[in-house]
Amino acid sequence: MLILLGAIFALHIIGIVLLLVATIDNAWWVTDDIYTDVWGRWMMTNNVWNLTDLPSTYPENYLQAVQASSVLACIFSILGIFVFLAQLFTLPKGQRFTISGIFQLLACLCIMIAASIYTDRFHLDERNGWYGHCYILAWIAFALTFFSCITYFVLRKKTA
Amino acid sequence: MLTFLALASVVLLGIVPEQSQAIVIYTGWERHALVGSDIRLSCSFFSWRWTSEDVTFSWTYRPDGSRDSISIFHYTGGVPYVDNKGPFRDRLEFVGNPGRRDGSILLKNLEFTDNGTFTCDAKNPPDIVGRPSSVRLLVFEKVPIQAGVITGAIIGVVLGLLVLIVVIYYLMRFLVARRVFSLSVSKHGKKKKEGSQQRQGPVPPADPSKIKV
Repeated sequence: MLILLGAIFALHIIGIVLLLVATIDNAWWVTDDIYTDVWGRWMMTNNVWNLTDLPSTYPENYLQAVQASSVLACIFSILGIFVFLAQLFTLPKGQRFTISGIFQLLACLCIMIAASIYTDRFHLDERNGWYGHCYILAWIAFALTFFSCITYFVLRKKTA
Repeated sequence: MLTFLALASVVLLGIVPEQSQAIVIYTGWERHALVGSDIRLSCSFFSWRWTSEDVTFSWTYRPDGSRDSISIFHYTGGVPYVDNKGPFRDRLEFVGNPGRRDGSILLKNLEFTDNGTFTCDAKNPPDIVGRPSSVRLLVFEKVPIQAGVITGAIIGVVLGLLVLIVVIYYLMRFLVARRVFSLSVSKHGKKKKEGSQQRQGPVPPADPSKIKV
């Protein structure tokens, strides 16, 4: 029982970590000398990395939507872990962890919105680059939070 | 003797800083404006002395990319003198109130060449030691939405909705619980009265032989 609890907790924490890395680290789109994400762009000039602004050709409102929903995903997931801990101690026996599940579901939706908008609206004509590790981590975090949310909706509290 | 010296030094230390307090001048840090519009550049100061009649305000302008400043406004002896030869002739107006320590000026009909730094220097005799303060003017064709505004707005609205939903949920629970509680109290009250009337009769008397000693 304790192992199951530990596994669920670890899953949630890993989801949070992946979400934070995806939001904060800077490798959503990578070329040979550019690392870019939703906040800024690192360009390699003369063997020195320089932080520059994102090009003004980026659609401004979609960029801010991606920023907002990835930050919201992190916030919901972090709130969810606290809610889960609270529910662990206050839930009556036999009940499900619905509220934690709802928070994880919201986090899952938000990161899905962020990653989808990014896929659909950005780098549409650029051929010489590929999606970086943060982008991949965002989708993995989507899967993990979805799995975590299902677990919370299905799990019942066994011991008082 | 020693105590007298100590007291005297404390008193002197108390007086001297007051005489050498500097005047502190406040302007904005940066101002954004649309081309063709008017903008008010505010300047105010803080001084330990009363506002003297010889208070002076002066504004100087340094264009972006230039190293020279040009003086564009001076107020002294109760009379404001505005620029009548330089880049702001006929476009500058004094809208301040020196009696209330306000030395603000109004720039009308802004042009792109007005981008630059405006420095305000105020003196309140005998309080004349102070640093002039500068405000940077940026003239735009279209005022841009600053970088994080939409992001912050989305996050704020969603979190606000969340808090609202939680508050409403707990409020509803509280109200419903109160209604249910008051209903059950009235029902319970009625039942108790009926119950006590019935029980008056067949109460079995305590059997003293059964009480263990």
